[in-house]
Amino acid sequence: MNVWHFMLHNDAEVARATLHHLWLVGISTLLAVLIGIPLGILITRWPALNKPILGSANVIQTIPSLALFGFLLPAPWIGERADRLAILALTLYALLPLIRNTYTGIKGVDPAVLEAGRGMGMTDRQLLFQVELPLALSVIIAGIRVAAVISVGLATIAAAIGAGGLGEYIFRGLAMVNNQVILAGAIPAALLAILADVSLGWLEKRLSPG
Amino acid sequence: MMTSSSFDRQSVIEFRNVSYQLDAGRELLQNLNLAVQRGETLVLLGRSGSGKTTTLKLINHLLSPTGGDLRVEGKSTREWDVIRLRRTIGYAIQDVGLFPHFTVARNIGLVPQIEDWPADRIQQRVQELLQLVGLETQLASRYPRQLSGGQRQRVGVARALAADPPILLMDEPFGALDPITRAELQREFLTLQSRLQKTVVFVTHDLHEALLLGTRIALMEAGRLVTILTPEEFLHSEEPLVAAYVDAFGAQRVDRS
Amino acid sequence: MSHLRRLSILLCLVGLLSACGPSRENRIVVGSKNFTEQLVLGEIIAQEIEAKTHLTVERRFYLAGSYICHQAILAGRIDIYPEYTGTALTAILKQPPKGTQEQVYGRVKAEYAERFHLAVGQPFGFNDTFAIEIRGEDARRLGLKTISQAAAYTPQWRPGFGYEFMERPDGYKGLAATYGLRFAGSPRIMDLGLLARALKDKQIDLAAGNTTDGLIPALDLFVLQDDRHYFPPYEAVPIIRQKIVEQHPEVKQALDELAGKISDREMQQLNYAVDGQHRDVTEVVREFLQKKNQP
Repeated sequence: MNVWHFMLHNDAEVARATLHHLWLVGISTLLAVLIGIPLGILITRWPALNKPILGSANVIQTIPSLALFGFLLPAPWIGERADRLAILALTLYALLPLIRNTYTGIKGVDPAVLEAGRGMGMTDRQLLFQVELPLALSVIIAGIRVAAVISVGLATIAAAIGAGGLGEYIFRGLAMVNNQVILAGAIPAALLAILADVSLGWLEKRLSPG
Repeated sequence: MMTSSSFDRQSVIEFRNVSYQLDAGRELLQNLNLAVQRGETLVLLGRSGSGKTTTLKLINHLLSPTGGDLRVEGKSTREWDVIRLRRTIGYAIQDVGLFPHFTVARNIGLVPQIEDWPADRIQQRVQELLQLVGLETQLASRYPRQLSGGQRQRVGVARALAADPPILLMDEPFGALDPITRAELQREFLTLQSRLQKTVVFVTHDLHEALLLGTRIALMEAGRLVTILTPEEFLHSEEPLVAAYVDAFGAQRVDRS
Repeated sequence: MSHLRRLSILLCLVGLLSACGPSRENRIVVGSKNFTEQLVLGEIIAQEIEAKTHLTVERRFYLAGSYICHQAILAGRIDIYPEYTGTALTAILKQPPKGTQEQVYGRVKAEYAERFHLAVGQPFGFNDTFAIEIRGEDARRLGLKTISQAAAYTPQWRPGFGYEFMERPDGYKGLAATYGLRFAGSPRIMDLGLLARALKDKQIDLAAGNTTDGLIPALDLFVLQDDRHYFPPYEAVPIIRQKIVEQHPEVKQALDELAGKISDREMQQLNYAVDGQHRDVTEVVREFLQKKNQP
């Protein structure tokens, strides 16, 4: 029985694991968007915060993912349920691309446009929502794309700490020394990553000005 | 030297000993005393670094004076609500700065929109302005990237005039255009100005443009005001810097009758 | 727009797929950790439910350890898995490993019900705790039955332990202190799998393994009795989601019928059949259950 038979035979289970994986990635990416974009906007307004905020996000990124999972395990409430832990860790990892891309996207807006807008009496809020964010949108989406693709991969490692998802197949397959089981997790995970990359890439192109 | 009689109710904009200094200590503007009369086109003429753009940006408070007092419509710019001030003043710059993600119509209607005008009034005004600046109405739904340089600058002017502000600030608006288009727009500016009678402060380094468009020319050099003269006076002045300018541009008497 | 439509169709398909297969209502997922004894127990649970109820059983074995299994059952990804009372007490409930067999079982059962809404089934009948092993010939020759008796001879013996036993608080240190053990030289530390062989080949004279290790009968090793009850009890029990107990009482019934049915020796034999004789787990379990269910 090769891997396609295996997957077909266990289609419901593989689909369930895939949906759970998607859920882990989706929630954490959403949280990263809700936290990261405002932070990115903040550092365009207060340059003094640039180093500490981008610096912290950078440090988090350099921590090996498995180590981060390990650090968070003893934490109260978070460490009790592997899902929460995984979502927290995935969110933290997704922050850097989002903060950084929001920042560069906004900074990349033509200064003449900003000068004209400001000179005509637009408030900071109006400039942000009517000019800066719309023009930075495609770069921000590029950041979301990077974050999502990284998250799909990291979520497979999260199975090592009990969060479930497609990684569980991979780890079980390794323990069983059974390639079919490994691939039943690895293939959908790879497809998910490609799907996220392609669909967000399409969105990015669609929204880029000009 | 300015006499106190110059500071009368006709002065829409008054600079009283205004200075502007950068944090690093460099003074871009020193003790400027200048009054802009209602309905005139005051040209700020000078080369790069003369302080003319700095002067312009002080008027709509994009820059804040570090010394002295600047009054617009009788009130100090420090007392004005900055947003209110800027919306009362039209602003057109060399790079135009049209919003690339807005159509021409939306660009023109920007100030009316942020002033919460009703949609139909905005639409009507946009149509009026397109006509005013000589653009075909079908351009309304196009995007800036689809326009030529001259068309873009016209949209910029239309945008500056949209909320019918009494004051217009223009920073080398025709500088980036080819000579033919530039000449066209200069002529149209004159026509427009004769109709609308706005108070205009116009920055340029081009003497020909200054002589053509200005009711008065304020010559600036190294952050100081050298002199203010009418175009006639300018061509006949014996002041060394003025004469140097006239020579440099090979200017001749301009007949504007 | 056709891109968007294709994407939504794909998502619908994935959603539909997840609805396929036996509905959650009639499906029981049995999990287990990733070593032989767990695989055997998991298979026993699975086959028992299949035989005695109308439910379909899905096997999710080879989960890497107690924490993973615990998280999986809390999240509802598995419904049942075999655990050891001692492990539940120390690793999951984070309490010190003290108490008699009954006390530990009672404490685990109560806390699991209250904190996690998990039911602890009846013990299978064996205790997979640490085994202090010596060669069978030595036990017979010296008439040794308990660790206390052996303490007299250990100064002449070389011991061998696994890494974990050396590190654990309820491992070597405590053992030596409780029984006043002294050895001829420091313990040799080696992989668990190699300890039994080393003991047989007389490279070491005493080892700490597991009571249900299949090689114990096979290599004629003897397990000394822990007369001072130093080692905490590790009774094997099924952990079941409370929801399953409520929705499918027949599952608990079927598992209760296994209570006390597996002795230490029987577990050793099952382990050996799979590890030593390389037989298929499913077959070994089927044989075993047939024998047990015959009146």
